[in-house]
Amino acid sequence: MKESTVKRTVSVLAAIGLTVSLAACGANKKDTAAAPSKSAAKQGGTLYILPDAQKQSFDPAKSQGLAITSLALVHRRLTTWDVQEGKPTTVVPDLATDTGRASDGGKTWTFTLKANVKFSDGTPITSADVKHGVERSFAPAFSGGLGYHKTLLEGGPDFRGPFEGKNLSSVETPDPKTIVFRLSRPYGDWPWVASNPAFSPVPKGKGAEANYGENPAASGPYQVAKYQPGVEMRLKRNTHWSKETDKIRGGLPDEVVFQLGQQASVTSKRLIEDNGDDRFAFGASFVSPAQLAQIQGNPGAKSRLVTSKTGAVAYLAINTQRIKDPKVRQAFQYAVDKTTYQVATAGSPALAGDIATTLITQGINGRQQYDLYPAPPVGDPAKAKALLAEAGQAGGLDNLNLVVSTSNNFPEKAQAIQAALARANIKVTIKTLDGEAYTAATTGPNADYDLALSSWQPDFPSPNANLQPLFSSSEIGKGGYNISRYSNPEVDKLITEAQSTVDPNEAGKKWAAIDKLILQDSPVVPLIYTRNSFLRGSKVADFFIADFPAYPNYLKAGISQ
Amino acid sequence: MAAVTASPARSVPAAVGRALRADRAAAAGAVVLVLLIGLALAAGPLTSVTGQDPYTFDTSALDPATGAPAGALGGISGKHWFGVEPLTGRDLFAIVAYGARTSLLIGFAATIVSVVIGTVLGALAGYLGGWTDRAVSWVADVIFGFPYLVFMIGLSAVAPASLPRELLLIVLMGSFGWARIARVVRAQTLSLAARRFVAASRVMGAGPWHVFRHQLLPNLWVPVIVVATLSIPGKIGTEAALSFLGVGIPPPSPSWGRAISGAVDWVATDPMYLVFPGGALFLATLALNLLGDGLRDAFDPKTGARS
Repeated sequence: MKESTVKRTVSVLAAIGLTVSLAACGANKKDTAAAPSKSAAKQGGTLYILPDAQKQSFDPAKSQGLAITSLALVHRRLTTWDVQEGKPTTVVPDLATDTGRASDGGKTWTFTLKANVKFSDGTPITSADVKHGVERSFAPAFSGGLGYHKTLLEGGPDFRGPFEGKNLSSVETPDPKTIVFRLSRPYGDWPWVASNPAFSPVPKGKGAEANYGENPAASGPYQVAKYQPGVEMRLKRNTHWSKETDKIRGGLPDEVVFQLGQQASVTSKRLIEDNGDDRFAFGASFVSPAQLAQIQGNPGAKSRLVTSKTGAVAYLAINTQRIKDPKVRQAFQYAVDKTTYQVATAGSPALAGDIATTLITQGINGRQQYDLYPAPPVGDPAKAKALLAEAGQAGGLDNLNLVVSTSNNFPEKAQAIQAALARANIKVTIKTLDGEAYTAATTGPNADYDLALSSWQPDFPSPNANLQPLFSSSEIGKGGYNISRYSNPEVDKLITEAQSTVDPNEAGKKWAAIDKLILQDSPVVPLIYTRNSFLRGSKVADFFIADFPAYPNYLKAGISQ
Repeated sequence: MAAVTASPARSVPAAVGRALRADRAAAAGAVVLVLLIGLALAAGPLTSVTGQDPYTFDTSALDPATGAPAGALGGISGKHWFGVEPLTGRDLFAIVAYGARTSLLIGFAATIVSVVIGTVLGALAGYLGGWTDRAVSWVADVIFGFPYLVFMIGLSAVAPASLPRELLLIVLMGSFGWARIARVVRAQTLSLAARRFVAASRVMGAGPWHVFRHQLLPNLWVPVIVVATLSIPGKIGTEAALSFLGVGIPPPSPSWGRAISGAVDWVATDPMYLVFPGGALFLATLALNLLGDGLRDAFDPKTGARS
């Protein structure tokens, strides 16, 4: 509690981690019995997307969007993700011809742009436009987007964007097709960082206006046709986008319409009923447990439910600045009941996701399965009590407060945790805060909580994005997501070391070791790898969720006839 | 206004008894209310019959495929009289019974706070008149028009977690609910103050406190009880509304409002989850309204007793 107030800089990594609440949408298991002949998406038609947000913006600097959701319909980046069912997600070239060439031991990265890539007004995209896009993300007015690059680029921490007459010298454009990034330290995951939204081109000199995201210069298959906040965002084709240079985006529907401000429960109801235009729609929010239960009894809707195989790790964060004894924290590992948590999350373990015992999520390269605190799925309250007694807390713990966000059923999940901890004489009061207040309370400088419930999906499929944002001491209290306020100099050192390892397999081994090392100190209790479920209308095809991320691929979805 | 025409200090219990005998609806309300109070008081022994409590999760009572209650009608069985709560398997009868405790406790306690504030301020305004009267009437007007639900939501969000939420709700609802009582008491006091027994007392040298205690109060009980009875259901409803919105009684303390809020999502799959807590809230507010209406009809000559 006594941290001095740190300047609230736009924290870089913090932004990154988007919590899983970002809407995404879903995909599907193929229609099996329901649709004997698998219908494939055809060219044409209008695809409807139903998010719960009132606004929709395509500002790359402010976006935390995944490379396969809304923003990628309009913008291309230097690199992007190849997301396919049954295959690991890989980083692939998008505007660039390759995923970057490292020199200087991973400190300098060079990209070359493809020929014949154009903005929606027909002007060719040059390296200066990409540089301008990157620089723009440093402007305080356009903060809030994924910011892994902001501390990594040399001079980044002091740079305030291109609109104050200065440029970032560590991004060089020797010719219109070449762009070079000079980093302050070696960073093996730079090809993934180059797939972040800020690496989308913005025409040099443009984008100074606050509402740039409402009608940006498009490089992807679509551009904005019409935008009415709270009503709809309508996208039409960008005729200067060509499939020749873009193997990743399907660009199948003629139009994509976001119907804004759709309450999640209403969305599910509409999609279950599957009438009119809703047949061509999919929901961008998670299907709630109550609706999942309803869908289980409705074969038609069940065949249109798409559930990811795995997903974000849901965890109970223990504020290590308040609960300082690792023994006490370890007691939580045994006290929780992961079964009731699964049921509270989605009604059944199959829909909720597997029990988690590691910090690196399933499907991430380098992950090693281990369990430092073996216990039955319902927990081991006796063992928890014994650990508390050893730590001199035989009477249990009283008056701990647990903060949760009101979104995604977290209050109900918190009650499952509360009831489980009570078995080990750990008495917890739940404090629910709405989304923004929760983020401010947990990531701000004053930590007025003992426990917090959260979940984390890495921003790119590298263990780096699992561990660094949550456990690096630089992510405490300045907007970063180290909400257990875990600070271990040894871990910090190893994280920097693993980050600078360019070879992914070698890096993977290092990350796996860090994973274990962190969990020995028990700053968080991993609960489950949360599956996400999404619903689609009957005419939406090629709507699937791959191994990573646990969100549907918007880029391939289309309409079947 | 000659609201009180009988002898100055008639016995309140006897008057209530007469009113109930005369009005069947009010009597039915009183019976339901007594039953609900009994349920609240005996929540512990009643739930221990089946070995249930409102806190323990029991996933074995749930359908393993969906998390909805296993069995028909929300899982009603000899063990779970009202079935169980989806996703948790907690006993719904225990939740409703312990929830009655929360609702009635808060409803009654907040009303007592309102009655104390309203009676004192109303009597002061009516008896002293002048600027006291103007100030009280003005504040009461403000409170009538004040969007206090919004205010309470805001305050609940910033109140420290260490402050007992029940106490906060009681104090808040109590201090926003006295205006109507103050108005009724003020009007009554104005008419009483002009009466000879009050004048006589004053002439003999009695101070305002003595007059209030011994001359006014005995004549104010009946109208106060009527207004108070009618205001309890509103307070129970407000507590339920706040809990429904997630800023009322924090979990795990059972609350009808929170149960109803959870049940709304489940209406299509498990309607019984809404029926029981919703029914309890409906019965409690209906019973108190019937009782209050009956008492008002019996005591207030202006409305004309129906029988």
